[in-house]
Amino acid sequence: MTENRPKWLRWLVPAAAIVATTAGAAALTTAGADAAPRLPARTAAQLLVDLQTARVDGLSGMVAQRADLGLPSLPGLTGGGSSSDLSSLVAGTHTLRVWYSGPGSARVALLGTLGESDFITNGRDVWVWNSRDNTAVHSVRPEGTAPARKPDLTSVPKTPQEAADAALAAIDPTTVVTTAGPTKVAGRSAYELLLAPRDKASRIGQVTIAIDAERHVPLRVRVFARGAAEPAVEVAFTQVSFNRPGAEQFAFNPPPGAKVTDESAADLQKKADSAAKDLTAKDQAGKAGGEPVVLGDGWTSVLAAKLPAPTKDDQAAPPKDGQPNTIRPNTAAPKGPLGTANLLGLVGRLPAVSGSWGSGHLLTGALFSVLLTDDGRVFAGAVDPDRLYAAAADPKASAAALSAPAGK
Amino acid sequence: MSVAEAVTPAAVASEVRAVLPRPRMFSPRFLLSELMLIFGRRRNWAGLAVLAAIPVIIAVAVKFDPPSGGGGGPDFFAGITENGLFVALAALTVELPLFLPLAVAAISGDAIAGEANTGTLRYLLTTPVHRTRLLAVKYAAACIFAFASTLLVAGVGVLMGLILFGGGDMTLLSGRQIGFGEGVLRVLGVCAYLGICLCSMAAVGLFASSLTEQPIGAMIGTMIFTVASFILDNIPQIDWLHPYLLTHSWMNFGDLLRDPVNFTGLREGLLRAAAYAVVFATAAWARFGGKDVTS
Repeated sequence: MTENRPKWLRWLVPAAAIVATTAGAAALTTAGADAAPRLPARTAAQLLVDLQTARVDGLSGMVAQRADLGLPSLPGLTGGGSSSDLSSLVAGTHTLRVWYSGPGSARVALLGTLGESDFITNGRDVWVWNSRDNTAVHSVRPEGTAPARKPDLTSVPKTPQEAADAALAAIDPTTVVTTAGPTKVAGRSAYELLLAPRDKASRIGQVTIAIDAERHVPLRVRVFARGAAEPAVEVAFTQVSFNRPGAEQFAFNPPPGAKVTDESAADLQKKADSAAKDLTAKDQAGKAGGEPVVLGDGWTSVLAAKLPAPTKDDQAAPPKDGQPNTIRPNTAAPKGPLGTANLLGLVGRLPAVSGSWGSGHLLTGALFSVLLTDDGRVFAGAVDPDRLYAAAADPKASAAALSAPAGK
Repeated sequence: MSVAEAVTPAAVASEVRAVLPRPRMFSPRFLLSELMLIFGRRRNWAGLAVLAAIPVIIAVAVKFDPPSGGGGGPDFFAGITENGLFVALAALTVELPLFLPLAVAAISGDAIAGEANTGTLRYLLTTPVHRTRLLAVKYAAACIFAFASTLLVAGVGVLMGLILFGGGDMTLLSGRQIGFGEGVLRVLGVCAYLGICLCSMAAVGLFASSLTEQPIGAMIGTMIFTVASFILDNIPQIDWLHPYLLTHSWMNFGDLLRDPVNFTGLREGLLRAAAYAVVFATAAWARFGGKDVTS
């Protein structure tokens, strides 16, 4: 070689390229996250009022949603970022695009790899589009009612606004409300509101809501399990703009070739009602089950119910929604409605527990526990299993659950 | 005689420089001869024929047995009967995990190691061409091949689709419809995006090619790197690693098919491709520039 420089000097160039690209990537992903903005102090009460009086004409942005509920790995649910199926939101990381322009005009698009699910409300029209199935579900909201919650959307919050509403509904004397130093979310300065349950038996350690300093809109909601450093559920804007999106974002005409299902207003009302029931009554299983009873209040309330006895007409009204029952049989199992027999088979695989209250099976996630006793009672709550055992042992509670009207 | 004796070596050098044609910075001749080599080889013709066969097979198969409505099946297959443009998208999606990377690995892995293996590399270096320029030409030719193969797949797909299914409005992933002209533009955009992604992979191949004198080894190494990247990207337990993987954002070409286009995803993919291209091209330069060429 005629060169008089040592050969190894050349390798400094690719090394510098690696350093430069990683540093550039780090700078892009954490842009503005490190510099805490200076904001005038604001009390928790002021922030709550800010939240309630927030008036937003329109916004659009990208939302990152992450859920790590500590559930066992479930086929079909843990699709990760690739799935554009709305029910996959209970696990993994997802990206959503959000457009909002007043209560009658909203669009949420769940982006999947080469797929997309859209939820669009435009005036009284509500559309749910799924590119993978090539289906569109159309419904017309009855006049004068609030936007109905679509039953097939899972109860995991999808926008910070929605999530904050849910968290604020839980505020009562059982909650310690504090504020944290100013933070930055999606490049905007924000206050942070911290909500912590007073009762240490709650599995939820803390709920934090980052509120935009200028627009008073929730930009990020995090739910922490007790003692956890990483949030179990996080919904946060990664980009947000308060410009009012154009009307074309909310227009939807099903493309030719798509399977369009029209739901009448009455149907929708019925479905919304049953969904609301499902949400409060996690184990409402049609006529065969008892009405659920809520024991205690606040963060540590426990829901007690009686499972329906396995009957011949299993297939009727399979239990829907509610975390414990979102577990579906393995993909290998026949794809049918989740009957009670199926459910009981699944329960058998959960760890067995027993005590003075009897014996049963326990499902624990990061944020909640569910106890299913062998005599057919169910106890669920965002509490440690001990609290459920106590409830199961409490004769009053058991009596309440067992004596609940059978509904026949 | 005395005049000749008085000539100093420096004067000779300047004399020689004046006589020889000055090496031009940008001459298309070298690149053209490289492209003639790549597109003139029969094995590359065979590879391109295989790439082009896939959209033909897809279009004919869907024509004879159309998927029942209601989606399902591989990506974009359900849309083919509605619009022929989806043949191109379906073919690109099917070939992206293996066939397209294989074609690019074959060319880029062959770039340096192929010359070394046939013993032509040292002759190539005797010409007054700087090694850096040789490397740049090799990389440019591999990139042109990457774009050409992507456009070939899409072009054959569009042609077959239009013949068998016709054109018309195109349904995007968001359920909106756009006109045929804009649909063609979006397909071209997908080709450009995937071409850039494959160029970043060609840089990896170029580096592998500079490491060895066995072209087959460089090709296999490049393929292993790419396929391993796809596999690792599908393991959710190591999601901290995913942003650093070569193929992590290749499927982001779907963001071009949304309404409105999701530029965030595309930008991320382009930056990732640029980072890979810069790192591996400079690594190839460092390796090749300091290499003792013995064959």
